[in-house]
Amino acid sequence: MFWRSFVSVALTAMLVTTVDVGAAIAVPAFARQYDLQCNVCHTRPPRLNRFGEQFHMMGFQIPSAARPGGLVGSLKDDGPVKTLIDSLALRIEGGLFEYTESPRETETKFAPPDEITLFVARPLLPDLSFFVELEGEPRAVVFEKGRYFTKGETGLGKEAFFMLNLGRLVGALGAPTMEMGGQTMVGTHGGFSMHGPMLMAGKVDPNTNFSYATNRQLIAPTELEVKHGAVERLPVVPYAFASKFFGLFKNRDEPQLVTDQVMYNTPGAPGADLHAMFNDVVLGQIGFLRENEGFDTYAAARFDLLDRGELTFNVSAVVNWGFGVVRAPDPEDHDHPGDKRLDRVRYGVAANVRWKELDIYGALIWDRLYGLPGELRGDVDRTATGLTVQVDYLAHELVMLSSRFDQLWAGGLKNEKRDGSVLSVQAKFYPWQNVAFFIRDSVNLRGFVEESPLRNWRNQVFVGVDWDF
Amino acid sequence: MRAKLVTSLAVALLVLLAGLWLVHPPASRANGERDEEKGGHAHVPAPLEYADVHVPLSVWTDPAMIALGKEIYATRCAVCHGDAGDGKGPAGLALPLKPPDFRNKDGVAEMRDNYWFWRVSEGGQVEPFKGKGSAMPPWKGQLAVEERWAVMAYQHTFSGHQGPHVTWEHPESVAVGRDIYAMACVMCHGVEGKGDGSVGPMLSRRRAPQPRDFTSAEFKFRSTPSGHLPTTADLLRTVTEGVRSAGGPMTIGLRGHRIMPSFGHMPKEQRLEVIEYVKSLNRGFWERPGIKTVAVPAPPPFTPERLARGRQLYADAECSACHGERGRGDGPSAPTLKDNRNLPIAAADLTKPERFKNGGRPEDVYRTLMTGLAGTPMPSYADSLEPDQAWDLVFYVLSLSRGGRTAQAGTR
Repeated sequence: MFWRSFVSVALTAMLVTTVDVGAAIAVPAFARQYDLQCNVCHTRPPRLNRFGEQFHMMGFQIPSAARPGGLVGSLKDDGPVKTLIDSLALRIEGGLFEYTESPRETETKFAPPDEITLFVARPLLPDLSFFVELEGEPRAVVFEKGRYFTKGETGLGKEAFFMLNLGRLVGALGAPTMEMGGQTMVGTHGGFSMHGPMLMAGKVDPNTNFSYATNRQLIAPTELEVKHGAVERLPVVPYAFASKFFGLFKNRDEPQLVTDQVMYNTPGAPGADLHAMFNDVVLGQIGFLRENEGFDTYAAARFDLLDRGELTFNVSAVVNWGFGVVRAPDPEDHDHPGDKRLDRVRYGVAANVRWKELDIYGALIWDRLYGLPGELRGDVDRTATGLTVQVDYLAHELVMLSSRFDQLWAGGLKNEKRDGSVLSVQAKFYPWQNVAFFIRDSVNLRGFVEESPLRNWRNQVFVGVDWDF
Repeated sequence: MRAKLVTSLAVALLVLLAGLWLVHPPASRANGERDEEKGGHAHVPAPLEYADVHVPLSVWTDPAMIALGKEIYATRCAVCHGDAGDGKGPAGLALPLKPPDFRNKDGVAEMRDNYWFWRVSEGGQVEPFKGKGSAMPPWKGQLAVEERWAVMAYQHTFSGHQGPHVTWEHPESVAVGRDIYAMACVMCHGVEGKGDGSVGPMLSRRRAPQPRDFTSAEFKFRSTPSGHLPTTADLLRTVTEGVRSAGGPMTIGLRGHRIMPSFGHMPKEQRLEVIEYVKSLNRGFWERPGIKTVAVPAPPPFTPERLARGRQLYADAECSACHGERGRGDGPSAPTLKDNRNLPIAAADLTKPERFKNGGRPEDVYRTLMTGLAGTPMPSYADSLEPDQAWDLVFYVLSLSRGGRTAQAGTR
């Protein structure tokens, strides 16, 4: 019965999606600016390959081949119309159908595309570029007056920043520099070299340079579900990067959900990030980000340890001190926020191995809270850990198979906290490089717990489209 | 308050950018400033007409050649460069651009053999040396090629280096190119240039095209006969144009759907630097006895008769077996085509010349016909087609797209 329903739903979704997609045309901005196929920068969109990472790191420029004059050069060469169109891109992402089964209920639900994003991005000068996401969410979940609502929202998306190569500035201060295709690098040929330092400021998510980059996920996070003003079901996200603690608050009003994506998978927060690559081996990164009522400072490093044949391997480490980023519950009433803001210290390691058509990456991240009021010490577990491991395998030119395991050893209020383990598998079919139909199944590997929004489900199947850039 | 902060930040950013632009506008030369400081002997890449002149390896250590070079050096060079090669010859002292010191190991190591040969041949009559006041005479009219090699071999002895003066002995001579390669090329072509970078298998899974193995003898895009290594100009064309391909995203605005980016915005000097590094990965560039290239004659006027002859040639040469009757790459053999790595390879869709890997201009198509694409089922027709016939076929191939307008436009 289940499979018959599922197949019917899947086929219908495919049909609806195909019709819907055919009515519009994707506009991959960078592909058009450089007349490149998507796969040059992506293992399969949206995940970046090594060339794409380098492209991103150099401020959305072909490495060593920045267009002289930047935007002015584009206007001269291509004219204003093409320059404008080439600067825009559109992304529609969403599970069109969802099938959820629990021991108690079977639910079939229609969900329209959950995210429509317009990207405006391009280099302005050889050393300066910008990237802005304008997002429309027909079913955005918002929290107002103590309740969760679903409503349409538009505005700035996850990221909106500029990236500036400070190589010239460092050179002006006396460091040796090299001109590499119109971009300035610090160092000398054959000796020490440094890409950047690049300043990325605005609304940023700085994890692109991490071994586990979360802002271009092949397995997209599921949506938060709310009902009657309360959380019905928490989304399935990479748990390593989740907030991990039960019972905390973002501010004096809104709860901090255990699956909220914070620091190194933030949904975009005001901040600034400096990163530089040294001798093509070590990537260093420091920065700060706003988070709730406080702010994060962080430092990260990636070591590209192996590049031999078709095998590459890198490891990363991050340390993050979040000052006053969450609020503890009121010691007298755990359902409401107290006066005390807490610090969170986060340590993480990640690794990425790429070999032939296989791409394996994972992150293990430990969190610890500081500043907890004495009255709460016995009630709150101050440590939490998350593990996320993903494997992508390009099984066919048009088919990317992915599997992700998420493990959450949660912290927070001891009488509320639950650990979680989820296994997701996904097949993504790319009839074109920028259009993917996917089918995904996530399985809750822990026992069903009806009152827990983390575990009140057994299985979730999604069929959807990721019309990508 | 917030508006004021944002405005202040925006103004500060604009001022910073304007300052950066004024203080240090983009340079276009690789490593130039450092060489300027060394006395103006910028080791810029040799121009294309000299780029393929690599001195045979044996010359550098051949006693007879060194003796010949010593003799020539004493009579023609020592007056400026000094008997000891220290750049302090009596006539050199008064020159605005001082002769280099050949005893300087670092300076000599940075000179590639083709650069050295270019300098001996053209002297100071070419830029950037002419503008700096170089008084060195050109020796190409007075010394035979072997004599110029001989004098280089003798000059080389001043540096104390014993072996042949080649890039793999002196990695500093390709340092600029290696840095660019590490930044832009290594992800596909691999650390050793074997075409085994981590991007390749995902780029086009178990299908051609795959990134080029620079260490092999097979290069697709050449003006040289089948089985030969390409010229530097061929490599420059590929680096500049990138590689176009079939497939790609469903979108508008893409022209060539490149699978390898165009590095046309990279300054030419830097493109040549990276090419010199790529050549250093394959000793075949030093071991080939001579270079033959397939000349591309000027296209004859387009006529309907030529088009008809081209159609007949298309049929006679059985082009349709792979490319199909209408040139759409759907011939009966197309599904079974494989390259020399046994990877499936698509026959080119001749109705889309903007996606031809080796270029879609008439001269590009001519060159492809006459050289073939090494490692692919596309053969060379150099032995079976006369130039005139090849042009007929070019016209017909280009007529398959856009109702033949491409063919006619190409002759203008």
